[in-house]
Amino acid sequence: MNKPANTGAVQLSRLPFTFARDHVIWRIGFALAMSLLSAAILILLSGKNPLEAFWAMLAGAFGSPHQIGVALNRTSPYLFAGAGLALCFRAGVINMGSDGQIAMGGVGACAAVLFWPGEAGLLASIAALLAAAICGGLWAGVATAIHLGRRVHEVLATLLLNFVALLLVQLLLSGALGQPGAGFLQSPLMPRGVWLPRVPQFDFHIGVLIAAGLAAIISFVLWRTPLGFAIRVAGKSRRAAAYAGLSAPGITWRVMLISGAMAGLGGGTEILGLHHRLIEGFSSGFGFKAVTVALLGALEPAVTIPGALFVGFLEAGAQAMQRQIGVPSSLVTVIEAITMLFILAATVRRT
Amino acid sequence: MIDFLEAAIRIATPLVFAALGGILSERAGVFAVGLEGMMLTGAFAAVIGTWLTGFSAVGIIFAMAGGGLLATVVAIVTVRHRADNMVTGLTSNILALGLTTYLMRILSGSGRPLAIHLDPIGAWPVPVLSKIPVLGPIAFNQPPLTYLAVIGCAVLSVFLFRSQWGLKLCATGENPEAVFAAGADPLNIRMTAVIGCGAIAGIAGAVLSLQQVGTFTDGMTGGRGYLALASLIVGRWNPWGAALACLGFGAAEALELRLQSLGVPLSSYVMQMAPYLIALAVLAGLGRSSRLPAAIGKPL
Repeated sequence: MNKPANTGAVQLSRLPFTFARDHVIWRIGFALAMSLLSAAILILLSGKNPLEAFWAMLAGAFGSPHQIGVALNRTSPYLFAGAGLALCFRAGVINMGSDGQIAMGGVGACAAVLFWPGEAGLLASIAALLAAAICGGLWAGVATAIHLGRRVHEVLATLLLNFVALLLVQLLLSGALGQPGAGFLQSPLMPRGVWLPRVPQFDFHIGVLIAAGLAAIISFVLWRTPLGFAIRVAGKSRRAAAYAGLSAPGITWRVMLISGAMAGLGGGTEILGLHHRLIEGFSSGFGFKAVTVALLGALEPAVTIPGALFVGFLEAGAQAMQRQIGVPSSLVTVIEAITMLFILAATVRRT
Repeated sequence: MIDFLEAAIRIATPLVFAALGGILSERAGVFAVGLEGMMLTGAFAAVIGTWLTGFSAVGIIFAMAGGGLLATVVAIVTVRHRADNMVTGLTSNILALGLTTYLMRILSGSGRPLAIHLDPIGAWPVPVLSKIPVLGPIAFNQPPLTYLAVIGCAVLSVFLFRSQWGLKLCATGENPEAVFAAGADPLNIRMTAVIGCGAIAGIAGAVLSLQQVGTFTDGMTGGRGYLALASLIVGRWNPWGAALACLGFGAAEALELRLQSLGVPLSSYVMQMAPYLIALAVLAGLGRSSRLPAAIGKPL
């Protein structure tokens, strides 16, 4: 047992992942290597050749411009939500509700398009994205109100609201937003005018570019503005923040609303750029990927960009691996979880 | 009415086991967000164990081992490596989901999930007592794991509040420095408590897969671990209190099923939301009055 000499330090710090300054990159690299090793063992268990499987994965991810486009489309929602989460975690606020916030973003975008009075065009797209951000933010706001107002732990409040959001999407799709007689719970197809533009040849929608831009802006906010300073102080020590006259609830509200809006945008761009309609369960599991991305990016909003790219390409590759070699693509989930566990074990504060 | 109570008890049973495990872990000072994954691993291992050997008893032992194994990972990362409890717990849930889904597919060898159909464990009526009108069929005509849940509550209460080990465990959640000063190793106590939590939560999974469904489906726990987490908070980290809270959730869900079958014009989605909304409302209602173990989530 290694007790810190100053026991107060443990209680003061609320930042859940204090990344040691030294060797963060190496530690994350080590985590990735260990998880790939575990993956190789799991592939062996299924009676397939791991090298062949990894090769199929690489080829599937980078093999053609189209494949790269597929991977970039996957990256988009993870980057939106992950960059927002990095800010949230920096403030020591553990928002586990990205799943629900992304779903509500999708609802906002869909509703805005369906009820848009004018012609379906650029203006409608922008309104839909705004609605997505607002809905995502509102959903995070509900969790924040429960958390701060009634002192329910933010993890529990956000997690339980995920289930509610998921059912709310189904409820809306079976009613006001749904396509009657479709057989599935989905909304009608959106008019072409509101679809997000796509980059030629690669054929990915511009969501990932918007996300990267916003991640850079969030990074700027974190390091170059008074709000960012307050967030960093609050993350390091709530008591120091209070002593400096910073309002902890105020900071919690801000980071929750920002990360909720980012997640909402992730949902909105997914709807407008990829599916072109709201589909039941389109966001399921995205919240955890967002946490993975935030951690892979060492809680540094700008570094979440390579983190999200890694996850996006990994998944696109895994789909190809499943098609070609027959290794179940749920292997990706295992790789992600093991990477996370190694990062968590290897990078937290030691005294 | 008897049907309704029976349904409530049936739905509450897995929650009770999960909540009991969670109490053990949280009383020792580690948040039990990983309950969901431990349940899922337990449900998977129970089905595999029974399928391999033909005995549900072996399945239940597999379930405890499976849940305990996942909990060991959680314990090493959170207790030894001092990682954040919440994120680690959530990650272990995802790991369980991914691994069980993956293993079900490679075990079949065809890329499709392995199809296993077992007969759910039947009721064990208690002789004589089960003949009592009303009370008999509800309390004394249940499957074995349901009785075990009640016994578990009693055993855990005695263990936590009447035994020296239990008191040490509770002290570790409140003031680990004091436990260290008293000559015990709080790290070991936390490790053991988390692994014990996994084994008990594994039984919760076995209740679902062996006693209620008879097979394993991907992600079959469907958020029950989080409901168990809510109910142990509502029950103030007390076994009987938590069991009562679980029964409350069970009754809410049973009511929902009943209303659905009666054709009440209320959307089924709204009714499925009910348990989560009730959990949130109750947690919010408790608000400031619920007091966590003082040192919970704090690494040593």
